[in-house]
Amino acid sequence: MLLTEHEGKALLASVGIAVPPGMLVRSADAVGRRKLPYPIALKAQVASGGRGKAGGVVRADSPLQARTAAKKLLATKFGGETPKAVLVEPWLAIERELYLSVTVDAAADGYVVLYSPRGGVDVEQGAAPASCEVGPARNFRAYRLREALAEIEADIAVRERVIALARRLVLLASSRDCTTVEINPLAKLADGSLVAADAKVVRDDYARFRAADIARRIDADHARQPRAIARALAGDLMLVWLDGEVGLISGGAGMTMAAMDLIADAGGRPACFLDCSANPTPQGYRLAFELLDGEPLVKVVLVSIFGGLTQMDRVARVMKEIMSERRWRKPVVFRLNGTNVTQANEILTQAGLHNNATIEDAVREALSLARKGDRR
Amino acid sequence: MSVLIDAASRFLIQGITGNVGRFSARDMSAYGTRVVGGTASGRGAADVEGVTVFQSVKAACEATQASASIAYVPASSAFDHVIEAFEAGIQLVIYPGDELPVQDAIELRAAAKANGATLIGPNTPGVISPGKAKAGFMPSFCYAPGPLGVISRSGSLSYEACFRLTGADLGQTTVIGIGGDPIKGLTAAEALDLLHADGETRAIVYLGEIGGSDEYSVAEYAARPGAKPVAALIVGRQAPPGRKMGHAGALIGSHADTHPAKMKALERAGVHATGTVSGLVAAAKRAFAASRQAA
Repeated sequence: MLLTEHEGKALLASVGIAVPPGMLVRSADAVGRRKLPYPIALKAQVASGGRGKAGGVVRADSPLQARTAAKKLLATKFGGETPKAVLVEPWLAIERELYLSVTVDAAADGYVVLYSPRGGVDVEQGAAPASCEVGPARNFRAYRLREALAEIEADIAVRERVIALARRLVLLASSRDCTTVEINPLAKLADGSLVAADAKVVRDDYARFRAADIARRIDADHARQPRAIARALAGDLMLVWLDGEVGLISGGAGMTMAAMDLIADAGGRPACFLDCSANPTPQGYRLAFELLDGEPLVKVVLVSIFGGLTQMDRVARVMKEIMSERRWRKPVVFRLNGTNVTQANEILTQAGLHNNATIEDAVREALSLARKGDRR
Repeated sequence: MSVLIDAASRFLIQGITGNVGRFSARDMSAYGTRVVGGTASGRGAADVEGVTVFQSVKAACEATQASASIAYVPASSAFDHVIEAFEAGIQLVIYPGDELPVQDAIELRAAAKANGATLIGPNTPGVISPGKAKAGFMPSFCYAPGPLGVISRSGSLSYEACFRLTGADLGQTTVIGIGGDPIKGLTAAEALDLLHADGETRAIVYLGEIGGSDEYSVAEYAARPGAKPVAALIVGRQAPPGRKMGHAGALIGSHADTHPAKMKALERAGVHATGTVSGLVAAAKRAFAASRQAA
């Protein structure tokens, strides 16, 4: 999960990394009321990249300018998200903008440090940053990073400060479950000091069991989701809405993607992907049907599950129950295979339900039913 | 031959008293796999499905000479159990669970290396050498012995793929689920090296998806002189960019992660690549035919 700049900077500050003194405000009036050290920077707080280029950072020299800017920022969408707050900081007199980040890279068997002496909003257009593979955090070696930076950072004082900072970022990433910690720009001020003028921190959702702050953020994010998505998440289902007509209930990411591809090849479009593999229980599947039955876009439901650990006789029994109690008329197409499929077929046949032998057959049936539904 | 596991492998099941451990003990034994013991830290069961339960991996190893283990434990304690197995001298550990923090995956990969051992996973159905042994919960009827080595990032897709291959009389030496997470115990490149060195594996089938860079390791291998013929199925053409598609690793972040970019790299390297599960058997047949021409 991507933190907002303010949250990211709080994490940086907690390990002694210099960040500008900032204040979070939630309304234009609040900006006008405060005594602020003009000139100031007003920065929209959204959890997405590309904010600087989209005009999400504004300079203000007076309370009037600040109020106008804050009002505008709070009413503008950045990356599809309307900011709930604006971060107010003193406008930094930056001598040079640098780029420094630590991220997880499979090729490095762990963390990698990336550095560019020219950072800022256009860093992606410039030369690729220098990279130094670290691996597990304890393998960070200052001398290796020094070698990697020797050619590209001529200012020795800056180079040494960057190395010290990189060590802290690697340790921060590993101890606080961050998959990316990016400082862009890392501001070099006139006195030679380095200040994190921005922070892009991605924390690992899977660490929620040991990090209370991650768990809180995930819960807050879920609560903000549209109702259907929030219900799916609460039921341990993964739901992504697309905009087609085939409501896909599936198990396992790989087969879900394969089925989506087949639907498109046959001239249809998936309405969603709804992965039930984390909760293959009667409650989980019932919720899946409720979500798709309640969505007008969905013309037909396609249940495509190839189970390993998920035992298909159990799934078939649940499907039989759901079909007998369900009040909706949307047609349902099955393709179940996997562990205990022979018993599953018997259960479905007894219930008068047809199990398609292949996913291709199931997709064809689903699309023909969706088209019939359209003509009705 | 087969790689990683065979009829002589002696397996421990860590977390054998849980629902999944119990199911898998029965299922693995039914396939003929030697399940020689189980562990359940702090639980007093004497045996589960006829398998003796020990209090620690060390005690289990001393009593059973186990060489491999599969750990059915939650992500929150996975690190501790997998490390315990490595330090008790287990050479191959399979961790099927998902939602393992990346930090723990990094540390476990390093620990495997430090102990001269191999970790498979996280987020995998396991490994099967058809007709010899299975370590995991893949549906057994999808597999048959034969000449293809299979590597997969996805469990469900590997069942579907092997069901089709077996139905077309294209059996497998070993099917390795490397898992869908970004940091893997065994990478695609390492799995390819194992299958390359295996005398009975004539051609390799790779099952991949959008996101990550494993597919580029496959292209690199296929372009190598003397490489075995490779077929690949890459799914996720319809996945919208920027959305995580169930697997932690299946996310289109940059151009190299996309379906067209991967297909192009694979085709350029001479891989028999297809973007649809319907095309898999034909692609695998082409790869197998190429292996016979080479012989």
